[in-house]
Amino acid sequence: MKLLMIDDDTGLCELLTEYLAAQGFDVQSVHDGEQGLKLALSNDYALILLDVMLPTLDGFEVLKQLRQTKLTPVIMLTAKGEDFDRIFGLELGADDYIPKPFNHRELLARVKAITRRIEHINSLNVATPSKMNINGITVNLAAREAAINEHTLTLTGTEYEVLVLLIKNAGEVVSKEQISEEVLGRRLASFDRSIDMHVSNIRKKIAEHIHGERIKTMRGTGYVFIQGE
Amino acid sequence: MSSSKVSNKHYFAWLKHPRHYLFFKIFIWFWLTITGTVAALIFLSNITAINAVSTEPLRGPMKKNLIYTAKSIERSATKHKRTLADVLSHPRLSKRKILFLGAAQPEDALSNKEIPAEIDLNLLSFSQNLAPQVIFTEKYQAFGPVNISVPEGQFYLYEIDINHQPPLLMRFKLMPNWMKVLVAIFASLILSFIFSRNLIAPINSLKKAAIKLSSGDLSARVAIPASRKDELGVLGRDFNSMANQLEQLISAQKRLLADISHELRSPLTRLKMATGLAQMQANEASQSYLLRIEKEANQLDKMIADVLQVSRLEAQSQTLSLQKQSLKDIVEHVLNDAQFEAKQNTKTLTFSGNADVMLSCDESLIASALENLLRNAIKYAHSNISFNVHYNNQIYIEICDDGPGVPNEQLSKLCEPFFRQSDARDRVSGGTGLGLAIAKNAIIAHGGSLALSNKEKGGLCANITLPLIKE
Repeated sequence: MKLLMIDDDTGLCELLTEYLAAQGFDVQSVHDGEQGLKLALSNDYALILLDVMLPTLDGFEVLKQLRQTKLTPVIMLTAKGEDFDRIFGLELGADDYIPKPFNHRELLARVKAITRRIEHINSLNVATPSKMNINGITVNLAAREAAINEHTLTLTGTEYEVLVLLIKNAGEVVSKEQISEEVLGRRLASFDRSIDMHVSNIRKKIAEHIHGERIKTMRGTGYVFIQGE
Repeated sequence: MSSSKVSNKHYFAWLKHPRHYLFFKIFIWFWLTITGTVAALIFLSNITAINAVSTEPLRGPMKKNLIYTAKSIERSATKHKRTLADVLSHPRLSKRKILFLGAAQPEDALSNKEIPAEIDLNLLSFSQNLAPQVIFTEKYQAFGPVNISVPEGQFYLYEIDINHQPPLLMRFKLMPNWMKVLVAIFASLILSFIFSRNLIAPINSLKKAAIKLSSGDLSARVAIPASRKDELGVLGRDFNSMANQLEQLISAQKRLLADISHELRSPLTRLKMATGLAQMQANEASQSYLLRIEKEANQLDKMIADVLQVSRLEAQSQTLSLQKQSLKDIVEHVLNDAQFEAKQNTKTLTFSGNADVMLSCDESLIASALENLLRNAIKYAHSNISFNVHYNNQIYIEICDDGPGVPNEQLSKLCEPFFRQSDARDRVSGGTGLGLAIAKNAIIAHGGSLALSNKEKGGLCANITLPLIKE
């Protein structure tokens, strides 16, 4: 599986390449934003690891330009404690983030959670109906697409997963913990706003095409997809 | 509430102990000096001038006029052989102001009109041999004398002006003594006040700035106008440049700490990564060492994160993601972990009060503040930890333990980064030594306060206040 690592710390890139290679990943690394963006746009990677502080083009800019055309999963490498970086990255459509300095096991778990999903979904498609239509939103599980009145929603991998999870459980409250574990493959840390950010992104994208609330916040518990009028 | 009481007390302190204030010392000395000088002057001038009478030579038309009047009286008395009383009662003269004819014997004196009782014309007798004068007394003004020689004898003509106000200087001179003293006192009072104020104001400003500076407000400066060139002006400017220097040094030092911590992260990330690689290939024997390396790297990571957090909070560059949040949620979350930790240490944590209130906060910061305080309390408690939350116009949180407490003189240092009670810096107690600093700065960043105190029966109490959402 091909991964792209964009980080100006060459030493870290070498170590990470070696580490992930041992886990069966093929990592290509570049050390500045412009080159990174070029590679990310011209190739199909299973996942991009993107640092925030980069020469020539910073991580946010790379992500912003990438998201205009591609939905390749992106994990941002942020500095620990920089809450703003984390939230801003998720707002721009990052799938997840991992604060530096990270634990190698944690990194591996997140990489696996996101890459495994694709295989998992592909194998699942056979058993479940390939199309669902609830309350104006159509989800094509085979094509991994969600649409409203023929308008395809440009959802990132994570956003799509969250939406599908909510739609499959339409009318029931899905807790943030459940979403985190099923979609991001990790336990929800205390005061982690990642899920809220993803849901907020989905809401914005739905609101572009349709009126009325589709996903409702249940304070302190989680979210619920409204089944219909 | 309590702070306003303190400031009131402070405001009126000078009334209780005026001798502790340089302002009053200078003021009193100046005032006494000035009033003393004035009093001495008045006393001396009163000795020399026994009666309140002063004279000035008479000049100009007034003199000519008086001499002319004297001549006409003389003429009509000698030519027409009339008595002086007759002459004076002539309408032409009686219409005039008071004319007084003094004589060698006071009982021979005459005047054209009745002289009011309070007018003491005997005062004029001293002047009979002088050239024409203006004579100022308290009640009247006299012009004269001009000699008149008539068959009845030798007389001295004076014109008396009762209503005339003496000139300003004379008025001062003729003022009653109590009024003179009063004026002197008031004038000197005001002058001394202005003088001492002028002297003390910059000193007070200096004092305030120094207090602010020593309490940690490095932006405190003295407000001294650049036009002030005296010693106090120079002192004020010197103080300001000293404060500038101090501010620069301290901010440079803090920035250095933050920069170092930030730069340490890259090698630390690589170290962790390399450890991960080594762990994949290492044999059983070296695994435990690699685990140890990982543990230490994590500790280092935690310290760097804490240092960065404290320095960001201190520099107020932390972007607080403020959200309307129920304190109950935060407290419940923190309490769960703390209960678990207390149980593991076989100590009891009891919660009381009501946390069902909304506040605008960065929940992770407030939670980490409470966590740090609770962890500290659990660590040092003998067996019980109490955690109380209540609110009225603001939120009060109290976390107390029944441990040994802290010597009073060290209470204020507890919230300094890396402060440890025993000088041995016992790492056994764990933690990075930044927990309380983070807690304090996090609470201050939310507009609250954190105070530490010892309980009477032993044990440390942390009292937090936090503002409620303004409706």
